[in-house]
Amino acid sequence: MALCRNWKTYSLQGYRSFSILCRQCDASALKIHSNVNVSPKRLLFWEKDRKGGYDAKEKVSTLQHIMKGFKEIKSEFKLLGEEAKEFLAADPLLIARPGETDLLWCFNEPKVLEQFVTTSDSDHNQGYSSCSFSPSPAGRALFHGYLDTRVPKDGRVKKAGYCALRSQRTRKAFKREATYNWHLYNTLVVKLRGDGRSYLLNISCEGYYDITWNDIYHYVLFTRGGPYWQIAKIPFSKFILGSKGLIQDKQSRMRLDRVTHFGISCGDKIDGPFNLELEYIGLEFDPTHDEDFAYEMYKTDRYIVGV
Amino acid sequence: MNVNRLRNLLRARPTLFSVRWNNSENKLAIYDPFYAKPKKTKETYLEVIKKFEDQDTRRRGHVEFIYAALRRMKEFGVQKDLEVYKALVDVLPKGKFIPTNIFQSEFMHYPKQQQCAVDLLDQMEDNGVMPDTEMEQMLLNVFGRRGIPLRKYWRMMYWMPKFKNLSPWHLPDQLPGDTLELARLAIQRITSVDPDTRVDTWQTEEIEASLDKTWIVSAQSRTQQVLLSEQPLDEPLVIKGPFNVYLRDQVVTYFILLGKIRPEYKDESDTDDVSNIPRPPGIPGVIGKVTLPQVKSTTHEQDDGTIVAVCATGTSSRDSLLSWIRLLEKNNNPLLSSIPVIFTLVAPSSDVSLFETQPATQNEKNES
Repeated sequence: MALCRNWKTYSLQGYRSFSILCRQCDASALKIHSNVNVSPKRLLFWEKDRKGGYDAKEKVSTLQHIMKGFKEIKSEFKLLGEEAKEFLAADPLLIARPGETDLLWCFNEPKVLEQFVTTSDSDHNQGYSSCSFSPSPAGRALFHGYLDTRVPKDGRVKKAGYCALRSQRTRKAFKREATYNWHLYNTLVVKLRGDGRSYLLNISCEGYYDITWNDIYHYVLFTRGGPYWQIAKIPFSKFILGSKGLIQDKQSRMRLDRVTHFGISCGDKIDGPFNLELEYIGLEFDPTHDEDFAYEMYKTDRYIVGV
Repeated sequence: MNVNRLRNLLRARPTLFSVRWNNSENKLAIYDPFYAKPKKTKETYLEVIKKFEDQDTRRRGHVEFIYAALRRMKEFGVQKDLEVYKALVDVLPKGKFIPTNIFQSEFMHYPKQQQCAVDLLDQMEDNGVMPDTEMEQMLLNVFGRRGIPLRKYWRMMYWMPKFKNLSPWHLPDQLPGDTLELARLAIQRITSVDPDTRVDTWQTEEIEASLDKTWIVSAQSRTQQVLLSEQPLDEPLVIKGPFNVYLRDQVVTYFILLGKIRPEYKDESDTDDVSNIPRPPGIPGVIGKVTLPQVKSTTHEQDDGTIVAVCATGTSSRDSLLSWIRLLEKNNNPLLSSIPVIFTLVAPSSDVSLFETQPATQNEKNES
């Protein structure tokens, strides 16, 4: 009898925590339906969700949706007007002046910070890290928080500990998605003040088809630490293709005219607070850098690579 | 006949079941060879692996054993040791898991064993341990060249050497255990922005009035000395801190001495204006003017102040910072004796009792 009761409470507890977790995080990758130990499944054919199950969009009723839409009409038409003006008046850029940095985001005004979104594993109940992106005491932007690699004891999460910062998707009027066009440039320039940790630069190049939804080009951003500003110039040719954080066997260079997001993440497996102060993120054309792609592209044996 | 036999079987079943149940409830005990070891070192860890290999020729439960061993690595402090990982791979039987036809190789022959080896390699990757060619030979002997662990190994050997020495600030493989050495490394890294910087290690014993007997790692370049000497006497210097700098997983706290924000150097002259060309200044020391043109803008002039010195102390206490100011004064910064210094520390660091006994010095700091 005692055994039976024990079993019951155990199962109830298990059920409760599971339901809490499921309410907010519905990541398909974490769902294991049976007790059988299975190797991670391969999503070769079809992916239904752009966010891979991590959708945090609030659901509103149709009426509210319409009301919200009406409120946005004015600003959207304004955007459309600007767009039309730009189309008629602006000449396309043909060259980038060598050695000059063109700024994408300059964090001198707090308004620019609103274009970025932070995420950490605690948002999806998959860890205990927390982070925020706020104005720094020196009047710049500060990406700071606490990285915690403790794994929640829910039996599903294996590793934890990440904090990420990502720009919002660039768009045209009436919520039409657009992409950045950086093909004039070949170097990314970041002016920063770090704490000695290494961070990861992420440049997303989402495409139309579902296999390209999670394509992100990564590179490491080493910080010196200390009170001095540091300018990191990283050529785009060095960025590595990864999908859902896994480095791909078949690498390719970035499509610089199809860039959708820019982000920085912290996940170096070291518990503790982190601070990364950013002044600007810019682009530069360096004529002395003629490397196309930094990694070998030779053909390998069949059935070894890319399977 | 058959019906009878079936009936007997059915009748026997509940009793057999209950007996087994009772037994298992009462007499189940987990024996953990890793837990049983009193000394947690690499030798004892390898001993446990050796013992497992010897106790059974069939090596039953080796997947479970490897998973258990991987979890215990941190406890024994061997998570960064390649030799230990090799010893664990050696537990897997050789030749048994190599697929012999295309169907076996396509459908993941011995999936649990392969997954186990992949998890082992994963843990190596997480701990930054790079495998070597002997590891490749061992994995080839176990899984054959179509095995998933081999693919993982080849990927690791392609990417890991590319990232290993990527950091522009080199750190030794084994960080020093001594905090003084660690602080020196951290301060050298911070001040690598100015190659002229001199990093000194001082003892607070040199100052008689100091309460904290500890070390101070201080860094100052000649430019910073000039910048400090140009600080107006009525504007106080500010000590800011503690700030953190990470050297891999080690944290060092440091403090900075800030001077006033210097006016930005503005050059309004038009370089294309040829109406009034000045006499060329000449080559310093040879022709014309002998002094170098004054450098108006240095790396030390940041937008939130001019950094005139950086330090890390053994206790990070206020008293040790006061000793730092005195020691800086002794070492070529005579101006510090007449300039007020403000302490703006974010949180009271180290002992609370230390500055309870110290109200007089606290005032002294602000006045002096």
